[in-house]
Amino acid sequence: MKKKKLTALLTAMAMMTGILSGCGSKGAESTPAKDAPAADGPAAAQEDAAAESDSGTASAGDAQPVTIWYYWENEGHQMTLDQLIQEYNGSQNQYAVTAKYVPFADFKKQLSIGASADELPDIAILDSPDHASYVDMGIFEDLTGKFDVSNYYEGTVNSCTVDGKLYGVPFGANCLALYYNEDMLTAAGGSVPTTWDELLETAKALTTDSVSGLAFCSVQNEEGTFNFVPWLWSTGATSYDINNENGIRALTYIQNLIKEGVMSKECINWTQGDVMNQFIAGNVAMMVNGPWQIPTMQSEAPDLNWKVTLIPQDAQYASVLGGENYAVVNGKNVDGALDFLTYATSGEKVKFMMDQFGYISADKTIAESQFAEDSPYYPFVEELNYAMPRGPLAGWPGVSDAISLAFNQVITGTATPENAAAQAQTTIDGIVK
Amino acid sequence: MDEEKRLSRKKNILFSVIAVALLCVLLFPLYWALITSLKTEQEIFQNPPTFYPHILNTKSYAAQVETGDFNMFRSFGNSFLISMGATLIAVILAVPASYGIAKYRFKARKALLLSFLVTQMLPVSVLLTPMFIMFKNMHVYNTWVAAVLADATIGIPFSVLILKNYFASIPKDLEEAAYLDGCNTFTAFVRILIPIAKPGVMVCAIFSFLYAWGDLAYGMTFILDQEKRPITAGIFNFMGQYGTKWSYLTAFAVVTIIPVALIFIFMQKYIVSGMTSGAVKG
Amino acid sequence: MAKIKKFFRYENVGMLFVLPAFLYMLAFVGYPIIHNIILSFQDVNAGNLVKGTRNFVLFDNYLELFGDSVFTTSLWNTLRFTVSCLVFQFIAGFALALFFSKRFSLARPVRGILLVPWMIPITVTALMFKLLFATDIGIINFLLRSLHLIDKNIEWLTTPGTAMFALICANVWIGIPFNMILISTGLTTIPKELYESASIDGAGKVQTFRRITLPLLKPTIESVLILGFIYTFKVYDLVYVMTSGGPVNATHMLSTYSYKLSFEMFKYSKGSAAANVLLVILLFVGVFYIKATTEGENE
Repeated sequence: MKKKKLTALLTAMAMMTGILSGCGSKGAESTPAKDAPAADGPAAAQEDAAAESDSGTASAGDAQPVTIWYYWENEGHQMTLDQLIQEYNGSQNQYAVTAKYVPFADFKKQLSIGASADELPDIAILDSPDHASYVDMGIFEDLTGKFDVSNYYEGTVNSCTVDGKLYGVPFGANCLALYYNEDMLTAAGGSVPTTWDELLETAKALTTDSVSGLAFCSVQNEEGTFNFVPWLWSTGATSYDINNENGIRALTYIQNLIKEGVMSKECINWTQGDVMNQFIAGNVAMMVNGPWQIPTMQSEAPDLNWKVTLIPQDAQYASVLGGENYAVVNGKNVDGALDFLTYATSGEKVKFMMDQFGYISADKTIAESQFAEDSPYYPFVEELNYAMPRGPLAGWPGVSDAISLAFNQVITGTATPENAAAQAQTTIDGIVK
Repeated sequence: MDEEKRLSRKKNILFSVIAVALLCVLLFPLYWALITSLKTEQEIFQNPPTFYPHILNTKSYAAQVETGDFNMFRSFGNSFLISMGATLIAVILAVPASYGIAKYRFKARKALLLSFLVTQMLPVSVLLTPMFIMFKNMHVYNTWVAAVLADATIGIPFSVLILKNYFASIPKDLEEAAYLDGCNTFTAFVRILIPIAKPGVMVCAIFSFLYAWGDLAYGMTFILDQEKRPITAGIFNFMGQYGTKWSYLTAFAVVTIIPVALIFIFMQKYIVSGMTSGAVKG
Repeated sequence: MAKIKKFFRYENVGMLFVLPAFLYMLAFVGYPIIHNIILSFQDVNAGNLVKGTRNFVLFDNYLELFGDSVFTTSLWNTLRFTVSCLVFQFIAGFALALFFSKRFSLARPVRGILLVPWMIPITVTALMFKLLFATDIGIINFLLRSLHLIDKNIEWLTTPGTAMFALICANVWIGIPFNMILISTGLTTIPKELYESASIDGAGKVQTFRRITLPLLKPTIESVLILGFIYTFKVYDLVYVMTSGGPVNATHMLSTYSYKLSFEMFKYSKGSAAANVLLVILLFVGVFYIKATTEGENE
């Protein structure tokens, strides 16, 4: 009896939002089943309400539901994923895939809570450095032998491999490279820097009262670590071994950029998006950033004259590997998840997704033919050869935290490079034994 | 009414001028958000800053209406439903509770008062996992009901604490007069005391509503479908690792403020008179 | 029978009024509190969150925390943040409430509009203040420069001391209307006749304030301060958006650090322990409040 009342209440509420939202639900609706019942009033709404309460029941005929969680807030990314899903759902009738957006800032939390409450999706598309932690949590299915990743960049495969077993499939790859404002460079009479010394000189030449020579995101979190490790690795230091001549040299170099006034301290508050906004506003002459900014830059500042090159080197070229991996949650609809992933990782689909995303395929054979030589994306493909992954390590969040604290201490001047390196090393040694 | 005449004309003008000056200072951040939302990104980064948009840019507002899965009108409706639900629960439960605490001297009184406070003493982050498990078992996970139930837990203790002072300030003889008129405990409460405490109830309702309106953690965690999420969730569409655009963010701020501000301005007469009409007469 | 009768004595009827609200809170917050206490005595991290044994480690998490310099900094930060905010927002809110209790023409509409800062979701407020305090494009630096108070931009959010100041400013801005409206409402419970007879007796303004306003407002003031303390002490959204605890952990609060431990570092038990330290401190404040407010009223 009570349940009936509740259902009635839910129905009423569902109808209410139906009215409220009547004006625009065309968006990126990735639920094929949901669009259909909306047509016939209360009964459908009731069905909808019922489906909500035990979020597992099949909603479209006999098709089994397969859910995906992802964190791209970018509208283009969402629509592209949606398109892939629609095509998949149309191609067969055994499974019905739906995708749900979980914001990046909430992603780790939602997965942690979901794991505790046994309320996880069938597929998660997650940030590659976190992959090992979730494998450690035991929520991902072993995919060894189920996907052919032999043509993939080694780093991307490593990021989802733990103890020799494959726990995911790389979605796509990206890395960081150096963007420069060509007009400013020409005006200052500089040349494209290839070494650290040249970079500092060029940055000095480009710096004026209103323009910083260089910027890269230095926020004290994973995003900042992502932007700092290329400098660290370029000296020959590793993420786990910082308290040595090389590690200290990397930190000292960053300290110099601030001291010389060619980079703003404000970088510790700038996300990669903020850095890009500063660059296109003409407040920054060179920046380190990823290829995913290109579509936005092209549409927001079509007249800006910029180019991309390798991040200048100290002892060797280095960049960092970014991107997402697909993972299949165990104990859920594994067959459905595998079926969808097989579809999504086929060459043709990968190429479509990567082109739309502004990503580089993790599959070398696709990546190498993906862009023409004059494409702004092309330098990223070259940079990818020098890109290394973070981790993979279950305790990576701890290591990353120690590294990001170290360069933040140096940038804000609260510790010398030597002290910051020593302190980070102590923390890291506590994690990596 | 005639109270207003108590201030001399000079004083009236002086005070009004001071009030307006205060208003300008305190609301400056809002003005700044409004004009920033109407500037182009380039103009935002301009130095010296401009105090009004030289080039009017409304692109940021167009994006509010619909970006990806986010639909502003729908989210607004969700927020409204969730906040109303939470307010209703908070007021219905808190009004009698505060009356009980204010007017009766039973033994567990202190312990109960403390326990209401204790419920507010944990940061939201650690409440999320256990609450999530409960809502899942209750089959309300991923519905507004979960957010309503969770949001009400902020409004209840708050309202109890504020309202108990109200009921305590009502003289006992009023209640006794009610008993003489043949009321029992409950009818006296409903007919005499609630109407007197109206301003307090009003304030508690407002605060409960606003706590629920501003909530982000509960709405985000317990509701997974974008189309059921409250308007605060929209912030993630504009603030993520791939970009912070001030014009978009400030437009979002303006958009979330305007509807509530309108409701409040529309209801101002009612709210303000509720707040200022002396609670106790006689 | 006698017992039942005794239970339904006049006083205990009050319990029936309180019970529904109490049971509601017990159901939805009671279990999480217990869950959290148990978790803080275990060793739960990513490896044994879902499967594997959870060992009881007694006070290990707490001991570890007190040896962790970021934790002790956040504890100290939380305290000074809370106290600074309370002092400023209470004084300003009180002054405004008194000011607007004067019956001038614009008093009511302006007071109504001043509530607007309270209607804004805190995440949004945090973003607005981040913009105001930005180094290069921030309006605050621009104003200070124009007034020749500074000649170089202050790096508000990237310097430890000033970042805390910026956070306090933002929180006080939210807190002023909160204090103002609650004190305004409290002022209405003071019978006007008292003021009238005081002025007939020739009492001055200061005297009236001290003898009538303050004592009669005492319960309201106590509630405002305790609620203000609790809500400020567990500040989360504001810090998360404005500084995320930075620069170099200088503005971490107990709540943000607890969140970071639990959901960014996967140290769930340590995160729970940090949250419980917050709970224990607030519990002391709560007991003190109950003592202070109920003192002398049990005839």
